[in-house]
Amino acid sequence: MKLSLTVNGRQESLDVEVGTSLLHVLREQLGLTGTKEGCAEGECGACTVLRDGKPIDSCIMAAHACEQSEITTIEVIGDSPDHPSELQNCLVESGGIQCGFCTPGFVMVLTALLKVNAAPTDAEIKHALAGNICRCTGYAQIIEAVIATAKTHQ
Amino acid sequence: MKIVGEKYARSDGVVKVRGEALYTTDLQFPGMLFGAIFRSPVAAGRILHLDISAAENSPGVHKIITASDAPRHRHGLVVDDEQIFTSSDITYAGEPIAAIAATSLAEALAALKKIRIEIDEITPIVDLHEAIDPKCRLIHQGWKDFGAPEELFRSNNIVGQMVYDDGDVDKILNGSDFVIENEFVAGRQYQAYMEPKGVVASYENGRFTVHVSHQFPFNVRDRLAKALGIKSSAIRVVGHHIGGGFGGKLDLGIEPFACVLAKSTGRPVKLIQSRAEDMATCPVRENAIIHLRTGVNRDGQIIATDMDVIMDAGAAAGDTPYLSSIPLFLAGAPYKSGRTRVRCRVVYTNTPSTGAFRGVSGTYINFAVERQMDEIAKVIGMDRRQLRLKNLLHDGDCFLNGQVLSDASILDEAFALVESRAPWTTTGKGKLRGVGIAAAVWLTNPLPGSATMKLNEDGTLGLITAATENGSGAVAMGLRQIAAQEFGLEPDDVLISMPDTDVAGYDAGSQGSRTTHVVGRAIQEASIELRSKIISVAAEVLEALPGDIEIVDGQVGVAGVPASRIPLSSIAIAAKSMAGPLVATGSYRTPAPEYNHQCATGLLFTTFPTLTYHVHLAEVEVDPATGNTTVLRYIVAQEVGKVVNPDGVRGQIQGGVAQGLGYVLYENLDIGTDGKYRQKTLEAYRLPIAGDIPEVEIMLLEHPDLAGPHGVRGVAEPPIVPVAAAIANAISDAIGAPLNTIPVRPIDVLDGIRWAQEVHPDRQV
Ligand code: FES
Ligand code: FES
Repeated sequence: MKLSLTVNGRQESLDVEVGTSLLHVLREQLGLTGTKEGCAEGECGACTVLRDGKPIDSCIMAAHACEQSEITTIEVIGDSPDHPSELQNCLVESGGIQCGFCTPGFVMVLTALLKVNAAPTDAEIKHALAGNICRCTGYAQIIEAVIATAKTHQ
Repeated sequence: MKIVGEKYARSDGVVKVRGEALYTTDLQFPGMLFGAIFRSPVAAGRILHLDISAAENSPGVHKIITASDAPRHRHGLVVDDEQIFTSSDITYAGEPIAAIAATSLAEALAALKKIRIEIDEITPIVDLHEAIDPKCRLIHQGWKDFGAPEELFRSNNIVGQMVYDDGDVDKILNGSDFVIENEFVAGRQYQAYMEPKGVVASYENGRFTVHVSHQFPFNVRDRLAKALGIKSSAIRVVGHHIGGGFGGKLDLGIEPFACVLAKSTGRPVKLIQSRAEDMATCPVRENAIIHLRTGVNRDGQIIATDMDVIMDAGAAAGDTPYLSSIPLFLAGAPYKSGRTRVRCRVVYTNTPSTGAFRGVSGTYINFAVERQMDEIAKVIGMDRRQLRLKNLLHDGDCFLNGQVLSDASILDEAFALVESRAPWTTTGKGKLRGVGIAAAVWLTNPLPGSATMKLNEDGTLGLITAATENGSGAVAMGLRQIAAQEFGLEPDDVLISMPDTDVAGYDAGSQGSRTTHVVGRAIQEASIELRSKIISVAAEVLEALPGDIEIVDGQVGVAGVPASRIPLSSIAIAAKSMAGPLVATGSYRTPAPEYNHQCATGLLFTTFPTLTYHVHLAEVEVDPATGNTTVLRYIVAQEVGKVVNPDGVRGQIQGGVAQGLGYVLYENLDIGTDGKYRQKTLEAYRLPIAGDIPEVEIMLLEHPDLAGPHGVRGVAEPPIVPVAAAIANAISDAIGAPLNTIPVRPIDVLDGIRWAQEVHPDRQV
């Protein structure tokens, strides 16, 4: 079945089987492997992408439900490899990255958060992260990175 | 230039934060097929009939392999109790029976559903006391024929047994002023690395190439060789970024299935576990029962200890026979145990096998020892902290194996440091608040590693090692900074290869916090040789004596003559037309400490080298309506030898505490009577999220280890060890009831509150 949507600013027209997840389309059909699959059950947030600017778990989102949507993935956050976004820089600087498998999902959720709330409190950050699991870091350095990002914007 | 000890961003930070880092699950190869494993739906029984014909004709299927066309060698890490596929006896739910390779994953999974199997099912044995009974049905009928070291003292369902006995323990116990007896129970904990296990294997020219995200590529190579019945040189293991491991990616996993499928199809085969499959079948931290009797004098001195431990190996031993040695070390540390007896038995059950998880059995043995301290204090009417200080080990004291702890008095400093941050008598006060303290002594894994270093022609340094970056930063921060420091280079000028068993020397994997310590030392050994090669070329180029040459900040010159300095790149270029390229290799293994070889039977893990010391304090608040616990403050004092990168050390402690908090408050794989876990999804399993974890207050001690590079000791593993104990002690303090089971569930807290009110109706809760 045909599917038309915008992915990272590019109009895509794909042949997608009914029932396929958005995550599968991104990773297997479009080769965008930056978005990760940690559970495929909507429980870990590793697969987070933005749909019309809002974070969603792409593993439990039917691709066909995204007809005409605008999808943004980790691949277009930051301008170029030499110019990651401020949040990305702060995550690297704060030591908020260990194995990195959860990281793209965190970047997507936090990018969306910072867009609507330029200076989130600790509690607001934790609330936004309720659907994202990081098994490595214990979260403190990730939260610090968000606060540092907010500071650079002031 | 000072590099070791400074804050430098990790080398893989940018690729990870941009989603560019490739993990095994991201790999694609031309002609690649997708694999899936057909597993036993029941935990115990015998296969009567297996029919793969319908599955073979399913669209997209290239090959289905069963025991009849795969190697059938018995293999295992310690005991040869595993086989690639079972053809008859089923010992756990999820035991592999067949594997499929198909054009797409969807086709492989569709074919899986068409396999028909008939099993003569029997009741699984899941209870440890039942399994250990000599009259119990055997989990493995053929256990006697399994290859295994003699010193395991196996019998029936017991696959490993460690016994230590000072003698007269009962007599001394009976003569002591108080005998405190308790049983502690620990559940299973899943590593829950965010990347489920995966592998891509191919077969060309009689050799396998195996792509993994694995903590120990050389173990994959050697274990595969045994499982497949081939030489280890016929296997090349290539490492990629690792989406977390925590011990769960140290032993052989699903690699054999990808290999047999790749060989039989002639195509690369990718096999990625679903989360549900990973959770249901992978070796997790074992459940255990610890029985502890302690004899104490009125003044608080511990004079006798009797510890009996039963660990659940599940259906295969894995590394659990090693773990049976851990109680020996923890029964007698960090507190003197008096006259002591320790027995640990590892037992087969019809459940998925268990294995390494950060802190291994240390987590729950420490829990037992430290909970017992609180119970002792209550019985004899002594302050809990005072009791600990009274029995604490000091410089020159020994582990039960006779190994001397030359610097154990660091524990006193650690207790004092915690006290300075959170005074014992004023912390954790208030309604339903409590404070808990726990200490630990831990080791740095001594196993060997190596490093090859080359000076590149542009003056950068190439570092070739099979040490793996599991996320901890041990390679991306630690090794990189240690190597840069040797030559005064910027860390960015050190380029580190991914692990490849064809290329790098042997490395024992990222386990037991060993990488920075052991491989860092190997880097220093290699640097000695590389420097002398650089100096001899430089001496010729600069027309000076080798003894007068110095290497400073990435430059070479005559000592005392800054104007003579030339960049390292010119030496590397000059070397090409002189002695040849500048390459050097170093190896290291921590020497084993002295110990008493006769101290125990069944001791496979004989010493605790390169010690680290830990004191943790937790302050909690309990909600009497829900039984939920909030950890308000968490304080860690940890001996690290020397900080290489402060962000790295902090991340390991914060992350280790978070895993410990999950272990004691939420996480558990409950085993049903059907031998399967009740929790089948991450949500049901309940991992800690951001809102659950306080910012850990960290205080580091830096007493250098003489053998470690720059004094480094292990850092990453032990922060999880005392967490369950510290938090459970704090909750017990808050509610006035003992909590001797991991995890401490809300229901246990509510029961505890009720119990405390019955026992002490006048106590304010
Ligand atoms: S992969 Fe989508 S939430 Fe885990
Ligand atoms: S960095 Fe490993 S899961 Fe978050």
